[in-house]
Amino acid sequence: MQADDRLDLELHRRVSEGDRQAFEGLYRRYAPAAYGLALRVTGQDSLAQEVVHDAFLALWRAPEAYDPGRGPFRSFFLSLVHHRAVDTVRREERLRKRAERASNLERGTGEDVAEEVVEDAYLSTRRKEVREALRTLPPDQRTVVELAYFGGYTQAMIAEELGIPVGTVKTRTLAAMRKLRRALYRED
Amino acid sequence: MNEDHDRIEKLLAGYVLLGLSGEDAVEADRLLSEHVPSCPRCRDQVAGFQAVAGDLALAVSPVPPPDLLLPRIRRGVAETPVRRRNRASLVAVAAGVAAIVGLAGLSVQLGGRVSRTEQQRGRLLAAMEALQQPGTSPVSLESQGQTAAGLVEVSGPGLQRMYVIGRDVPMPSLGHVYQLWLGTRGTFVRVEDGAFVPEDGLVLLELTVDTGRYDEILITEERMGDVPANPSHLGHTWHAFLAQPEAA
Repeated sequence: MQADDRLDLELHRRVSEGDRQAFEGLYRRYAPAAYGLALRVTGQDSLAQEVVHDAFLALWRAPEAYDPGRGPFRSFFLSLVHHRAVDTVRREERLRKRAERASNLERGTGEDVAEEVVEDAYLSTRRKEVREALRTLPPDQRTVVELAYFGGYTQAMIAEELGIPVGTVKTRTLAAMRKLRRALYRED
Repeated sequence: MNEDHDRIEKLLAGYVLLGLSGEDAVEADRLLSEHVPSCPRCRDQVAGFQAVAGDLALAVSPVPPPDLLLPRIRRGVAETPVRRRNRASLVAVAAGVAAIVGLAGLSVQLGGRVSRTEQQRGRLLAAMEALQQPGTSPVSLESQGQTAAGLVEVSGPGLQRMYVIGRDVPMPSLGHVYQLWLGTRGTFVRVEDGAFVPEDGLVLLELTVDTGRYDEILITEERMGDVPANPSHLGHTWHAFLAQPEAA
């Protein structure tokens, strides 16, 4: 376990006991990543703020929802942010209007456009690894993952957008996720 | 078998990316409650895919949040009552009609798991003691989903406390928790501190509440962190009518 993961565990333990300083410690560590993600998925500053606000309050109200036995806190929390961002986008019914933006997804996932944010070395290193793993995917597999994850598209919508069968979207998604898992976790 | 697992893993990969809709989403929910908990290969795959999904967030450049966001969150925190927080409040036990027997048996059978903390053992013993008090009775909650998981509610007159006990309880959908409700004549109120998630499928919830005022109990899936005014009735739900105290 990385030292940063251990620090997260300790902060989360203290949040579970109602420690506000620990809560703000987690905010300082993850707010920039959470806000960057929410901004990417929702495409709107006001919606992104709502997503991050709701995610942190959800953590404060129900810290027990994170089970350390199921992986790093980072994965749990950013998944929560992602989930809320996608929910928000779908609720706002803005998906169809964002087709143009979705076609421009390459820009943000491969380049540092706002790296003035000071973040922990581990997060920075991990960020490079994730980008590299995404870059090594075949373009057709990378596209379906990006449309789903960052665009909030369902597989049916991706199929329609790309003009391919849903079954192909599913096959490419599974292949991509298996490769990403191997690349990021060095597993079979 | 492998072909079937390919089909399942395609659904799981789409599930963690929140890309499923329609029948695929329903099928994934079914698999996550019925197949995945008992399939080591799928459990491992879901955990691995979820870790990847969490890390994918890092592909996006971090952006400093607006300065006003933290003060807003602080206000929300200040308005949220600090409840008695205890990660170890969810524990084991049995489901089914013979709750007392099940409790006793499982306290031994699951000894290794329960003994992880003395606090867990204490809650287990408290639930068993509660069952022995006059007028206290276990009530089996009926699942309204496609799951074999069982939950039992234990309460009694004068106990001012209730326990919700379960095993093989599936995890709620991603980003959701279970929420306990108590009802009178079909109108439900949310139980404070009644949000929970199972730990390895096991649940032991201890709540300070006078169940004598209510005649129904309901458990629903709600979005994590939400404070809903009414039950959503989405996802897994459990329901039971509470036994009314006998007239003296």
